[in-house]
Amino acid sequence: MKKTTLLACCLLIAFTVFSQEKKRKASTYNKKKQEKGDVKFLEKQWWLGVKAGANWSKVNVMDRYSVISPTNYELTSISKKYDNFGLAGSQASLEVSFYFKGFLLSFQPTYQHTRFSYTTHYEWTSSEEENDRVELDYYQEQKIDYAVFPLIIKYDIAGNKVRPYVQAGIYSAMRLNATKALSTSGVDYAAGGENEFKTETIDVGVDDLFAKYHWGLLGGVGVNYNFKNHVRLNLDVMYKLGMSNITSTENRYGSDRLAGVGDAMDDMKLDNLSVSLGCLFPLRFLQSSLQTLDR
Amino acid sequence: MKHYIHAILFCFAAAGLTSCSEEENPQFDKDTFTKIYDNNKFNSSNFAIDMRQTPDGGFLILGGRIIPDDSIYTGIYLMKVDEFGNFVREIEVDGTSVNPVASLATFQTKYYFVCTDRSSLQAQVASVDANLEAVTITPVQGGLSYPAAASFIDNNFVVVGYNNVDRLTTMSIVSPEGGVLAYKGFMIEPGDAVEQPIMDHFVRTGRKFPFAVGKAPNGMYYFNGFYNYTFSLVFTDMVADDPNGVVQGSLNDGGFSAITPISGNKFAAARFNFGDNYLMPNREIPTSGISSSSKLGGYSLPEMVANAKVRIVRATVDQKNILIYGTDTKSKQIGLLYYNESTGEFINSRYLGFSNPFEIVSMTQTEDEGLAVCGMTQVAGRFGRITVFKISKEQLQQDVAALMP
Repeated sequence: MKKTTLLACCLLIAFTVFSQEKKRKASTYNKKKQEKGDVKFLEKQWWLGVKAGANWSKVNVMDRYSVISPTNYELTSISKKYDNFGLAGSQASLEVSFYFKGFLLSFQPTYQHTRFSYTTHYEWTSSEEENDRVELDYYQEQKIDYAVFPLIIKYDIAGNKVRPYVQAGIYSAMRLNATKALSTSGVDYAAGGENEFKTETIDVGVDDLFAKYHWGLLGGVGVNYNFKNHVRLNLDVMYKLGMSNITSTENRYGSDRLAGVGDAMDDMKLDNLSVSLGCLFPLRFLQSSLQTLDR
Repeated sequence: MKHYIHAILFCFAAAGLTSCSEEENPQFDKDTFTKIYDNNKFNSSNFAIDMRQTPDGGFLILGGRIIPDDSIYTGIYLMKVDEFGNFVREIEVDGTSVNPVASLATFQTKYYFVCTDRSSLQAQVASVDANLEAVTITPVQGGLSYPAAASFIDNNFVVVGYNNVDRLTTMSIVSPEGGVLAYKGFMIEPGDAVEQPIMDHFVRTGRKFPFAVGKAPNGMYYFNGFYNYTFSLVFTDMVADDPNGVVQGSLNDGGFSAITPISGNKFAAARFNFGDNYLMPNREIPTSGISSSSKLGGYSLPEMVANAKVRIVRATVDQKNILIYGTDTKSKQIGLLYYNESTGEFINSRYLGFSNPFEIVSMTQTEDEGLAVCGMTQVAGRFGRITVFKISKEQLQQDVAALMP
């Protein structure tokens, strides 16, 4: 149902964008033939560019899971606490865009390094003896590399030299690599004092714990600055809204190392905010003046 | 027209992108899971003894618990978990009944096990329904003391116990209602030397011996326990006063750690000998006369802890009959070793657990042709907690396919 609605929205957007030419034909009717040809030529442009930047992730939990199954307390008391937008990742994109009368259809294959973390806290206490108490904390950082394939429609809002735009689209992400760094710390009050302990961080390869593919919607804003040689400097802010589970439900308990310490991945969708800086190069020129659309 | 084609292409591309998501199926969470059952009380300490699958796909776990103010005997603990391995409910049976022993048996709609009356130290038969609504305790009529192991065979319990008055290992056939249908006593020794390790076993202050009881395919009953000074595998027809066959160990230091009948005189077995362990899948074991377990050979596995606990399950995986040995490894994992049942040939292995130490308690093949392994772990390295691993049918098939394509 969700996908059908999305497809309908895509159709609506696409037909709106691609039918622009027809509506504007009347306004260019009285221009000279050559000028008309140039303008028509300049109405279309291909752009090729690269950009890179940082990103921050947010987890939207769908269903919670835990290896630890409490027998005398609520599962919610040991639920994972996610540090949303707390860790910066990075990304690098290749951009291929086709400009047509204010709209750009853009394909931006991206290598995205995503990071997010969560903590779990456990406590064992005694009602008889106050010092019979142990606290245990697990800190887990996920590092996932994705190949992201976004299909985006951009619209140049205004301007000539400085051209702000809005964008919306859809993406699919393919997991390339995933690791977890796990560290344990705690306090043992029963030892006769506050015996703080901490283990060395262990890194575990967890490719199978994450879904091979997921998809989502994206939206954002950006601005292009046109240099005299027609190269564009691009600042792009994009928010990706995850629409499918990034966890592999089949392999949830697949890592003995992590299951052994009570960890199982929640079902979750991943949102991602990225900021990128890059440059774009036009691929079509008027022969006489190397003029692009940016006059 | 061209632009409409562009629009349609765009839509197809978008549809293609949205189709890229992984299959989700709640069945996955039933097929495979790892669960650790935690109590946040500092002094809580339960341990598992046996596990059975219930008709709803969940599991019933028989366990023991520390009874406050009772430093000698352990109480009875029962836990129900659902088909996803999630905790459902638990019962701590009152301290008048203690020392539950494996195995947990299913008969008609109830689950049965044998335990001990705290004051008389006589055996009792306990029953409980699959949802742990109520536990019923019935005393065994006829003075059967210190039950050490039980098996449910031909709708009756076969119980091996210890008679501390006459220093006998006892073997009884007990009905689910508590009636003793047959009884035999087998001499251990007249002196005190053997009694101390046996009592240490019962009060859990010393080594746990792998007491076991069962019935061989040739109709002979057997028990794994003390006989004539040594820990031995003893065969009896429950008619003659003397054993029909004895496979002797080496006092307390050698003997069988697990035994499961296959066919005729063939057994899947494991033995210990002064700390070493030997696995004997598909081995002919004499059920008459006197022989020695140390001459039976077997595969020696240095990775196993000294005098390791061993559990054996006969399983059918992908229409192949295999033996699964579960044991404790020196790396504090539960090791599963797969053998071809008909040839005894090694197939593959799998190791469960990491980070925290894990020990095996019980294994059972599940209705969905997977494997459930019940064990113990030490959460935070100090709190003993019951754990259950569920291995899916597909994972077992992959394991077995290694050498049995």
